Parts: sequence; C-alpha cells; structure tokens
Amino acid sequence: MGVLLFISVLLVAACGLIYELVAGTLASYLVGDSVFQFSTIIGTYLFAMGIGSALSRYIHRGLAYRFVWIELLLGVIGGFSSAMLMLAFAFTQGFELILYALVIVMGVLVGLEIPLLMRILRDRYQFRDVIAHVLTFDYLGALGASLLFPILLVPRLGLVRSAMLFGLINAGVALWSTFLFANQLPGARGLRVACLVVLCGLGVGIAEARHITATAEDNIYADDIIFARDSRYQHLVLTRFKDDLRLFLNSHLQFSSRDEYRYHEALVHPGLAATPAPRRVLILGGGDGLAVREVLKYPQVESVTLVDLDPEMTRLFSSHPMLTKLNDKSLLSPRVHVINADAFPWVDSNTDSFDFIVIDFPDPTNYSLGKLYTTAFYRAVSRHLSAQGFMVVQSTSPMFARDSFWCIAQTLKQAGLQTYPYHVYVPSFGEWGFVLAGTHEYIYPTSFPSGLRFVNVEGLAALFQFPPDMAPLAMPPNQLNSQVLVRTYENDWKDISH
Amino acid sequence: MKLGRRKFIGVGSAALVGLSLKSEKKMEGSFVNDSPQMGHLLRDRAGFLAAKHVEKVPVVIVGGGIAGLSAAWRLRKRGFTDFVLLEMNAQPGGNARWGENEITAYPWAAHYVPVPGPKAVYVRELFEDLGVLKNSQWEERYLAFSPQERLFLYGRWQEGIEPAVGLTQKDRAQFQRLEDLFTEFRKSGAFTIPLELGISAKYQDLDRLSFSDWLRQQGFDSRLLHWYMNYACRDDYGALSSDTSAWAGIHYFSSREVEEKGPFTWPEGNGWITRRLLERVGENIRTSQMVHRIAQTHRGVSVFAGETEFQAEFVIFAAPTFLAPYLLENFSRLHDFVYSPWLTANLTLDRYPDSRSADPSWDTVFLDSPTLGYVDAMHQSVRTHIDRTVWTFYWALVEGAPAQNRQLLLEKDWVYWKEAILRDLERVHSDIRQCVSRIDIMRMGHAMIRPTVGSIFSEERRHLARFNDRILFANSDLSGISIFEEAQYHGVEAAQKVLLKLHGRP
Repeated sequence: MGVLLFISVLLVAACGLIYELVAGTLASYLVGDSVFQFSTIIGTYLFAMGIGSALSRYIHRGLAYRFVWIELLLGVIGGFSSAMLMLAFAFTQGFELILYALVIVMGVLVGLEIPLLMRILRDRYQFRDVIAHVLTFDYLGALGASLLFPILLVPRLGLVRSAMLFGLINAGVALWSTFLFANQLPGARGLRVACLVVLCGLGVGIAEARHITATAEDNIYADDIIFARDSRYQHLVLTRFKDDLRLFLNSHLQFSSRDEYRYHEALVHPGLAATPAPRRVLILGGGDGLAVREVLKYPQVESVTLVDLDPEMTRLFSSHPMLTKLNDKSLLSPRVHVINADAFPWVDSNTDSFDFIVIDFPDPTNYSLGKLYTTAFYRAVSRHLSAQGFMVVQSTSPMFARDSFWCIAQTLKQAGLQTYPYHVYVPSFGEWGFVLAGTHEYIYPTSFPSGLRFVNVEGLAALFQFPPDMAPLAMPPNQLNSQVLVRTYENDWKDISH
Repeated sequence: MKLGRRKFIGVGSAALVGLSLKSEKKMEGSFVNDSPQMGHLLRDRAGFLAAKHVEKVPVVIVGGGIAGLSAAWRLRKRGFTDFVLLEMNAQPGGNARWGENEITAYPWAAHYVPVPGPKAVYVRELFEDLGVLKNSQWEERYLAFSPQERLFLYGRWQEGIEPAVGLTQKDRAQFQRLEDLFTEFRKSGAFTIPLELGISAKYQDLDRLSFSDWLRQQGFDSRLLHWYMNYACRDDYGALSSDTSAWAGIHYFSSREVEEKGPFTWPEGNGWITRRLLERVGENIRTSQMVHRIAQTHRGVSVFAGETEFQAEFVIFAAPTFLAPYLLENFSRLHDFVYSPWLTANLTLDRYPDSRSADPSWDTVFLDSPTLGYVDAMHQSVRTHIDRTVWTFYWALVEGAPAQNRQLLLEKDWVYWKEAILRDLERVHSDIRQCVSRIDIMRMGHAMIRPTVGSIFSEERRHLARFNDRILFANSDLSGISIFEEAQYHGVEAAQKVLLKLHGRP
C-alpha cells in the first residue's frame, strides 16, 4: 500500500513536468526564441504552483474526493494542452494568451496536488516520513519525465500524443485513488464513471492525434506538404493544393502539375519530332520522369537513358502513386534506363551515341550547377550526338533572365553548334526558354504524336519568334574559368526583385 | 587494476567531459618525401662506395625536376635517346611532384603555370605537345575554374587576393599608381619570361635595393598595399619583400600580360605536367640514384651514382646549383645562391568546413596570416557534387635567416607543425578539426632560389648560365627566380647546346 501510494506521487510529478515541457517546446517551435519561451513558461508555471499550494489551505474537508477531481481535471487539461495550443496557433490570434492561461491553470492544479496528498497521508505515517518520501518521489518523477521527454516522447510520439499519454496517466492515478482511498470516498462509483469517461476521451485523442496535427499544419502552411525529405544532394518538398501538385528542390519550384505539360511538351517535341528515326534518347537531369513521359510517345524510340544525380528523386518518381500517375509510370518502362550519376563525369566517360539529347538541369544558381552550362560541357555532350541528332537545353527565362538566356545560347554556339532558341508561356513559371542545338539545319516537323495538349504544327513557328522585350542580346559564352552565367543569372534576378 | 577513489572520480569526470565536448577527429599523417638526410650525406662528404660498374652513355642529366625532364623532353623530341637521367628521390618531379589518395591527386609544391606569353616559346611548344593548346585555343578544362581566388579579411570573404575591402581613398590611389608603374615596366620589354630574353642593364639599379625599400622610395605607404606586395614575394620567392630584390618584385607584376584567362592548373598541380613528361621520357629515367661525384676526365665527364660510374661526353646539371660545390671537383663556393625553406602539407578533408556561406575557391588566403593559405585539389573537378577533398597548404618560412629556419624545420616534430597548420586554419574555419582526417607534411630546406638584393645581376650567376663546356647548368636558379618557365627554358637550352655539340644542330 505504502509503495503504491508513493508511486502515484512519482507519476503525478512526472505528469506535471511533462505539461510544462510541452508548453515550453511548443512555444519555442511555433513562436521561436526558445530561451525566452522556456524562461517565462517555467517561471509562470512555478508561480502558479505556489498559488495552488497557497489555495490548498482553504480546502478543509473531502480531501481524497477533491484530489481525485484535481487529477481528472489535470488529465483533461494537460492531456489536451498540446492539441489546444496547436489549434490555437493555427486558427486564432491569441496564441500567447491561451498559452499562459493554460500554464497558469495547470500550475495551480499541480500546486494543489502535493499539499493535499501530504495531508491525506498525514494520518498514516509520521510527519517527517511523509515529507521525506513524498518529496523524494516527487523529484524522482521529475527526473524521469525530464529524461523521457527529449529521448523517447518527442521523437517517438510527438508533442500532441505525449501530452495525451500523460493525461491518461493522470486520469489513471485518479481512478486508482478511488480504490486506494475507498474508505474516505462515500460516492466512489460516480467518480469512477467520470474517470472512465476521461480515459476514453484521451484514448480516442491519441488514436486521432494525426488528424489534429494535420489540421493545424494545413492551416500553418499554404499548401499541404505531402512529402519533404533531405536527400544527400538536395531538399525535396512536394506540396498539394486541391489538384495541384508542386515539386520544390532547395525551395525552387520545379513544376506545377497544372501546367507542367506545357513545359515538358515544349522541351521535348519541337526537337524530337524533327529528328529522323530517333532510336536512342539521352536525358540529363529530369529525374521527375516527365520529359521521359513525352519521349515515350514516340514508338520508334527504343531506349531512353536518364542520368539524374539523386537516387531519392528517381525512386520517389518511380514509386509514389500520385507522381507515377503524373508521369504515366514512365520511369518503370522497360525502354527506360535510370542511371544515378553526376552528369558531367558521366558524359566524359560514356561513349554511346544518341539521336536526341535533353538537358534539363536546375537553373545556374551556383558555381557547381554553372559547370553544366559551359562550352566545355556542351562540347562533351555534342560528342554523343549522332549525325542527324539534336540536343535541347532548358535555358531559364528569356523574360526575367534575358541576359542569362542569351548567354546560354551563345555558349552553345561557341561550342560549335547551330542554335535555334524558342520560348513558351508556362503560367506557374512565366515565359520560359529553350535552345535547340545541332550540327545541321533545323526544319520544322510536319507532325507530332497524337494527344498533345500544347505543341502543334500550326503554333510551332510562333515559339521561335522573340518579341522585342526578349530579343537576342550580345553575351559572352559561359566557360569554366569565367562562370559569367552564374553572375549574370544572379544579377538578372536581383534586377527583378528591386 | 585497482583505482583509488580520487583517481576514479578523476577518470569518471574526464569521461563525462569527453562526452560533452565535440570530439576531435582522429588525425593521421607523417612527414613525407624527406630528403635532408640524403643531402646531408653530401654535405658531410660521407664515404661513398667505389664504382663497381661502368656505363658508357653520351649524355647524363643530373636531376629529375622540371629542368632535367625538359632537357630529356627536348632530346627525345629531336630523336636523341642515348642518355640517362639520374634522380635522387624515388619519385621524379622535384618541385612539380604530386601525390594521390582515394579522393584525388594533389600537388606537393608548384601548382600552376600562367598562360604563356609570346616570348615563352618553349612553354607554348610543350603545351601544344600536351594538348593544353589545341587549334590555337587553350583547353578550357585546364584553366583554373571560377571562382579562382578568395581572401579572408575583417571577418568576411572577398573574391581575388588583392585587398578590395576597407580601402581608403589613399589606398585606392596608391594601388592605381603602382599598377600604372608596373604597366610602364611591362612596356619597356625588359621584364620578360624567360628572364634572359629581356634583361637589361638599364634597370640594374633596381637590383641594388629591396622591393619594400623601393616601394617606400616611390612614396607608397599604404598598409594593405605593402601587405599585398609582401604576400606576392612570400608566395613566389619564399621571401619577405624586404629580403627581395626590387627588380624581382617588379618582374613578378610586369612580366605577364594582364588577362583574366589563366592560370593553368590541374588537381595534382604541375605534377600533371610531370606525369605527361614521364610518359614521354620515362624510359631514360633512373630513380633513387644519388649522384655523389662528378669528375672531368680527359675524354669527357664521369658521373658517380651508387656503385656505377657513368662515362659521358656531356652532363646536364639540372639539380639545384648549390649542390655543385659538393659534387664537382675544384668548384668554388657559391655566394649568390640563397634558398628559401618551405613547408607544404596535404590535408585530407572528409567534408568541407563551414565557410560562412562563401563559395569554395581554388586558392584561399587569409589577410595577415604568416602562411600562404591553401589550394583545393577538387576545384578542377567537373563534378557538381563534391563532398571530400584534399587541401594543399603552403608555408614559406620567411622570418629570420634561412639557415635558422632549416634548423627549425628539422627540429620540430610532426605534431608541432600539424598544430601550427590547424591553428592557422581554425581562425577562419572553426570546425576544421572535425573535417580533417589526415595531414601529411613535406619539409624542403632548399625549396626555391631566393632573389635577394643583387642576385639577379650577379656575376656568379651569369657565369654559370653561360658555362658551356662538357658540363652545362640548367636549374631554374640560374635565373634567380624559381618558376616553371625558367626551369623549362634552361633545361631545353642545355639540351640544345648538347645537341649542337654532338650533331652540329640544336
């Protein structure tokens, strides 16, 4: 009996500390400035506990009865505190007000617990033993909670469910107390029913915690984040808003499922449809499989080699149901060979020849990516081009980054290729540009695969017309030892943002 | 083992502290390519074994650095293959040696060659041979990729080594005026590479005072300008600007066309050139062959190495010239050949350290550091994702007399130099100790000739350069400055003189 009593002291102490830690952690996550949050929350909480202890002297009778009620109340308020705070942050303006109100209420209740317990136990043990044992188990519980919280609870359960779990423990202690102090509780049955109701409520809460978190996060971020992962090479985020899927790599938008067909049809078809009897196609970059999807519309293409640096990317676009629906399971086609490799060394070491080459890299935002837009790279790629072949290069926006676009075109020229620049309007990107390049003249194709939504024979010539605000500029070629493109691109976007 | 209570507490708390501190990576490494011991055998005239074998060979080249390899390259290119090249070390290349590990190849010393100007005819010819120059275009992949250089100053980075941050109006004006002066010297045509093709007595006065004195005489007092000029002297000559001839200081800035293209570099630095030369002349090379005596005979010259006497008609002495008095009989002491001691280190990095969001550059320098900074061997990689690399760290020991510094190089152990290097890097890369897994250190007592005041126009030097007998000198130190182009020039010239004597045409 004695040990069981003191175990309940330990559990109660642990619960009290957990609620305090949950409040501090959530405030740090959501508002920031963790030093300030933890300091003020701990201070307020301890102060409220003092109020609770002071108030305990006004409780004269029915100590056990009131103790059970306090435990139940703490179970409900503490257990749901984390969920309440998350929803408060997502849906109200008064997060801080609710935060401190909760902290004060919980603090007062926790402050009442120990004095009441000591008075309940007063008659059973000597006073000095009560003090010694209660405080010992109180502090032990605090230690246990403070270790469990960062090591197990937050990583395994998350904040919402951790709080609820300890709410359950509080309610459990309440239920257990009705048996421990049965002789002091005349109406124990009613109390036990209340305990069961609270326990059920918290149980349901734990099962449904995912929905609570999701509801709150949906409101915190504009779109629903359905996938976020750091691969070895980049940060991948996939978002969804209604039927619009968007992929971000290192926070740069790669496509929006609403209009990516415009981009990928324009990337592939003007060049591929003009290539006589294309059998072998090479795609550098483009791990999303969307360019592959367009290439596979040509039955005469026997093999598509896709070289993308990031295995995480190609795995995701081979397996995620929403994404394989978008790319028509292109990466799973037996005609497609996926190679995860760094493009430049791969191009240097491989000796195959291709009839059509798609170069679809992220924009030249840094010197590493800048190497993939140099005369040295294009010379190396052009060695893989068959006699009748063409290559096409994603070339940034001729509207927003006009200097950069024409710098890429000039770089291809400098590498000894004839160039045919064109552009397309993609709503989520704006005006976007491509450069077709080859060793012979480009003649407009007279037919395209059926079922295209954007590219057609009638509209093709217009893509190769540049209005005055996107007209050619004299730019130096981009070389490994100058990297003018990276500097140019940075300036282009600086100009836009000012 | 019985632990006392006090000791137990000590051990226990040490373990706790160890847990809470960031643990330093276990760092391996050692001194490598040490050659002082071999040199000291010569200095102390140790008893060498008498020759047991005799080999007759028309031409012997002594020394397998760039000068010796270039002489060999010229001989073979002219169809002459009847020669041997004797190299003291196990690996040829001299100051253009390289190393290689599982990450990349890296240089041990010289790591770049500027784009050759119109007078550097032999360099152009070599570069055409090696595919650096193709259809009158420089190969893009061999030019240092951008961004090339960065300087850390006042807690931030700038591109380029010439200070451009925190300059006053006065600093700016002085930098501009000095640049104008250098342009005038360049136009004079007297400061050329190779040096011999332009040198003129008209500017001999500049060899009579130090570079820093000349700068002050011209009214330059900007601290940053003096720092930069001093850095240039330390980097190229291993000497302070106050220990460098003004003529040499000016030559550094006035001998090359100002252009943005260069320089040429490779992961293994000039080791790349050594490798290509070895492909062409490797079969004539004998390594680990320390020459210990060279004697003129009535029929020719005998070169003694190990237990072999090579009886030759001509010897090309491409080893550092300071060795000549120890090897040649009746060779008087040299006075105008001072050499700078250096230390280089190759650091293996398992990841790049925190660089305060600066882009990795080829060459990194810290303002006011006693060292010269480091070069990134992976910079010339065409990969987009690079996680591991090797840094080559350069340190010319310039303060005090060269002999004292040579002593210091030998006295201090590997741990001392390792710590000195890491502390220098730590000032900018605070997490460097968590990144580096290996530091190998190469000590060079006589790394390069020092162009001291009066040494460029030294009679002694001119005499040796014109020496045209059965022994021909070819080391870059004949020019008074130690650069690739001078070494190659003297090597090729010596080979041509030998061919002229043997066949009547160079």
